[in-house]
Amino acid sequence: MSVVAVPRQRRRLRLGVSLPPVIVAIGALIGWELVVEIFNIQRFLLPKPSAIWLSLTGDWRTIATAAQKTGWVAISGLTVGVAAALAAAMLVTRFRRLASGVTTMASALAATPIVALAPVYFKWFGQVGPTAKQAVVVSVVLFPVFAATARGLLQIDPVHAELMRSYAAGEWRLLREVRVPNATPFFLTSLKVAASLSVIAAIVSEYFGGEQGTLGGIITQSAGLSRYDRAWAAVAAACALGLALYAFTNLLERLALRWHPALRAVR
Amino acid sequence: MSAGSGARGAAAEGDVAISIAGVDHAFNPGQANEVVALRGIDLQVAPGGFVSLIGPSGCGKSTLLRLIADLISPTAGSVTVNGKPAHQARLDQDYGMAFQQAGLFDWRTVARNVELPLELRGWDRRRRRERSRELLELVRLAEFADHRPWELSGGMQQRVAIARALAVHPPILLMDEPFGALDEMTREHMQDELVRICSQTATTVVFVTHSIPEAVFLSHQVVVMSARPGRITRIIEVDLGERTLESRQDPAFFGCITEVRDALRGRAPSLTEAGADER
Repeated sequence: MSVVAVPRQRRRLRLGVSLPPVIVAIGALIGWELVVEIFNIQRFLLPKPSAIWLSLTGDWRTIATAAQKTGWVAISGLTVGVAAALAAAMLVTRFRRLASGVTTMASALAATPIVALAPVYFKWFGQVGPTAKQAVVVSVVLFPVFAATARGLLQIDPVHAELMRSYAAGEWRLLREVRVPNATPFFLTSLKVAASLSVIAAIVSEYFGGEQGTLGGIITQSAGLSRYDRAWAAVAAACALGLALYAFTNLLERLALRWHPALRAVR
Repeated sequence: MSAGSGARGAAAEGDVAISIAGVDHAFNPGQANEVVALRGIDLQVAPGGFVSLIGPSGCGKSTLLRLIADLISPTAGSVTVNGKPAHQARLDQDYGMAFQQAGLFDWRTVARNVELPLELRGWDRRRRRERSRELLELVRLAEFADHRPWELSGGMQQRVAIARALAVHPPILLMDEPFGALDEMTREHMQDELVRICSQTATTVVFVTHSIPEAVFLSHQVVVMSARPGRITRIIEVDLGERTLESRQDPAFFGCITEVRDALRGRAPSLTEAGADER
């Protein structure tokens, strides 16, 4: 009667896990600074981290406002896209005959590059306001979340399915007790991908127009004016935004999947 | 075959836990890829009886078990479970079921796995807790109630699955090679446990297995089936009395093993039957 030992010394491990990446990051920044300095690289090719930092702090208010606008587009688009994906996945699970049709449509949508969609969406939804950009984010987020969640909902352990049938459980209980918990890890993995995609989609769609003073807008504008340090500062802000969203989804995953065997060591 | 040991085997009409009459089953019936899995199955299981289904791979023994469980429906014939059509018996949860894979839910604790069928029946939390504690004590896993299934060994998981199958006090237990994935030592231990649990709960059991000694050790009757289309070729009565550690060394035990093996090979009952008659 052996029981798999579950390590109880996680807290002590935490510092050991988070410290190395921080050291690597600081080292990389110092290396970057030195390389630019020593090889005298032109600042329009690659500005020094210190210059980017100065631009970031100097233009803090502009960049923070821009990050807020872009963040709103990304987060609202992500929310709507995820909600629509979940609804579609549920629908496909309930009416399995729809599955092939909806999946084909979603694949077609996924194969469409947003670059092709963005100008069209600006025509549809107008240059003013965030709607067109939100629509781009929704389109980008929809497929990976839908595909992963539908898969988790449909591909349940046949033993679980037979067991629930032997309990005379209806489709609703099967959904609640088996399909949804089974789909949760699939969904959360896709959510992590979608969170990163949403920031990328928001910024790329901002390249194509719409309101000024967004991260994408600052990047194109600053590059046009040869203010590369400012462009890089906006990229850094975009990076921070993406990381924040990723960290949030990661936290969500750990909270929701405390039961999962794969998380026993990192819990 | 010993006619005298038929106390459980030759049950009177109306005193039957499971009755299968003239059952055929085909997959994809009427199509080009039709496969006849079972043909002309008649079988009666008495209340409190332990019946094993044994036969070569693909003989339809799991299919027969699934017909009893109403997980699939027969192409012809009737299946009566606990005095009602199999479909109604399933809706009434008249049986519990265990499979080769324990099939526990990783997202539930051990206790809450056992409680699932009770939740589906609308038992309140306090009664569920009580019942799951009782059952985990029965399978000797009480101290693991709050563990996750994946923290347990294979044999322990299988015991949780059996506890879960017994949760609603079903009069019948259907088991599909439940110990098939376990090592020999654990397997024998689990067989001892199952014998003990059955004698404590007076449950009727239909048990699918590949293992001849397992079938003989556990059962009152061993149903021997032939390969596709699956038919019942013989029903062998096993009378070992109360199963103890010594039962596995009993000459009668080995006699029955030989008898089942001969039946599986399609041979007529050999000399050992004379020995069996002496019992």
